[in-house]
Amino acid sequence: MKSKKRLVMFLQGFGLINLIWYLVAVLWNKSVLPTPLQVYAHMGDILNQEIGMHILASLYRVTSGIIIALIIGIAIGLLMANSGQWTKVLGPVVYLTYPTPKTVFLPILMLIFGLGNGSKIILIVLILVFQVIVVTRDSVQNISHETYDMITSLGGSKTQRFLNVTLPAILPELLTNLRVSVGTALSILFFTEAYGTQYGMGFYILDAWSRMDYMNMYLGIIIISLVGFVLFIMIDIIEEHVCKWKQTAPQEG
Amino acid sequence: MLVIKQLAVTYKKADESIHALGPIDLTIQQGEIYAIIGPSGCGKSTLLSVLSGVIQNYEGQVLLNDVPLYPREQAIGYIPQHFGLLPWKNVEQNYLLSLKIKGIKINTQTQEQIDYILEHLNISDLKHRFPKDLSGGQKQRVAIARAFIMNPQLLLMDEPFSSLDSLTREEAQELFIQLWNKKKLTTLFVTHSIEEAIFMGKKLIIMSDCPGTIVEIIDNPLFNTENIRENTEHLKLSSYIRGIIKKGWTL
Repeated sequence: MKSKKRLVMFLQGFGLINLIWYLVAVLWNKSVLPTPLQVYAHMGDILNQEIGMHILASLYRVTSGIIIALIIGIAIGLLMANSGQWTKVLGPVVYLTYPTPKTVFLPILMLIFGLGNGSKIILIVLILVFQVIVVTRDSVQNISHETYDMITSLGGSKTQRFLNVTLPAILPELLTNLRVSVGTALSILFFTEAYGTQYGMGFYILDAWSRMDYMNMYLGIIIISLVGFVLFIMIDIIEEHVCKWKQTAPQEG
Repeated sequence: MLVIKQLAVTYKKADESIHALGPIDLTIQQGEIYAIIGPSGCGKSTLLSVLSGVIQNYEGQVLLNDVPLYPREQAIGYIPQHFGLLPWKNVEQNYLLSLKIKGIKINTQTQEQIDYILEHLNISDLKHRFPKDLSGGQKQRVAIARAFIMNPQLLLMDEPFSSLDSLTREEAQELFIQLWNKKKLTTLFVTHSIEEAIFMGKKLIIMSDCPGTIVEIIDNPLFNTENIRENTEHLKLSSYIRGIIKKGWTL
């Protein structure tokens, strides 16, 4: 039911965007904007060009960045939510660095960690981790004490409190935040892949652009969008399973 | 048996310390059900919070079956005012939570016990629903099931029926008393309804204004009798309690 709805949404959006693109391309009639039909006709060529390696390289960077940011962010967020002392120490740091545009650190990161994957992943982590910290801290603080009372009266341990109350309570907000993060992470990825690499969708697009190979440039843009879309859908599916309790149940009896 | 000796609770609020409860001396006999009535803010809920282990900072002594109160080692069933169901767990996960936290494995005997309780409370068909898809009465029955399934040494209820509409409430009270009569759990519940106290309490504890202390403990001769609400004794007892209330919760 849900996946069918999603497919319809996808097809509708995809159709409409391509239609607009087609009309603009035909009316404008310039070589820098080929029609979608011309671009898709090149699909066959691109598959021979190690495109898989580019996609994998990008996916590796984005997903490791997201996962590391989640682990560090949730840990720090929990620390801050549960201990006044940690808040005193970390609060000002988070507050001060939150609005700083972290992309400006890329040169520093590259000087320290080299041109490889390390500096790219660290930049993604740096940008995402603060949002994760803030969302975790706030949603943990929003859990009412009464929710824990039940577990307390049963003599539950700290781990049991975390697994039965804290984690399920913060998951919906974390996933919503993650959805935004995927978009951000992909934008940063594109930026980082402009330097010091021969692989990745960012490199692929910029390389095609510099060679004035517009067909491949457009294909690259379409593919990176699809990669983002797939990541998006994956979060949707996780959310559906984990946050079942938030959805309206089908009517019974 | 639950023995409470010189129990007192003081809250810290800003720079003020508020004496909320006590001192209280009270003995709750094994297999009996006690109702606590008192003015709002008299510390009824505070008392239950102490007994359920939520408030650990108190003066005096609380002994459950001769051992100091310690929820991790003892089985304490607690039904808070809004039932305390976890919204992310379905009905089955909610009523099994008590066993899960205690690390109790479900054998044939426990399963029979569970099935009996679910059947009695008429919630066997709701296992896979989530709390938000339940009515108030259904939520409450799930909370009762969770408490009874763990077979607690002490059952605590904080105004358990107050958020139900009056028809559902009477039905729920009757279901509860039937089940209680089968299991005879040592029970202490807080209520603001004289009717409910007389219907469900074998002994009625009247508490004073803040800081709450015990004004009187009344034996309820009407407990477990047929057609309680039509009995003339009912009127006598409730007007006696109303008299105490009129005098500002004093004798």
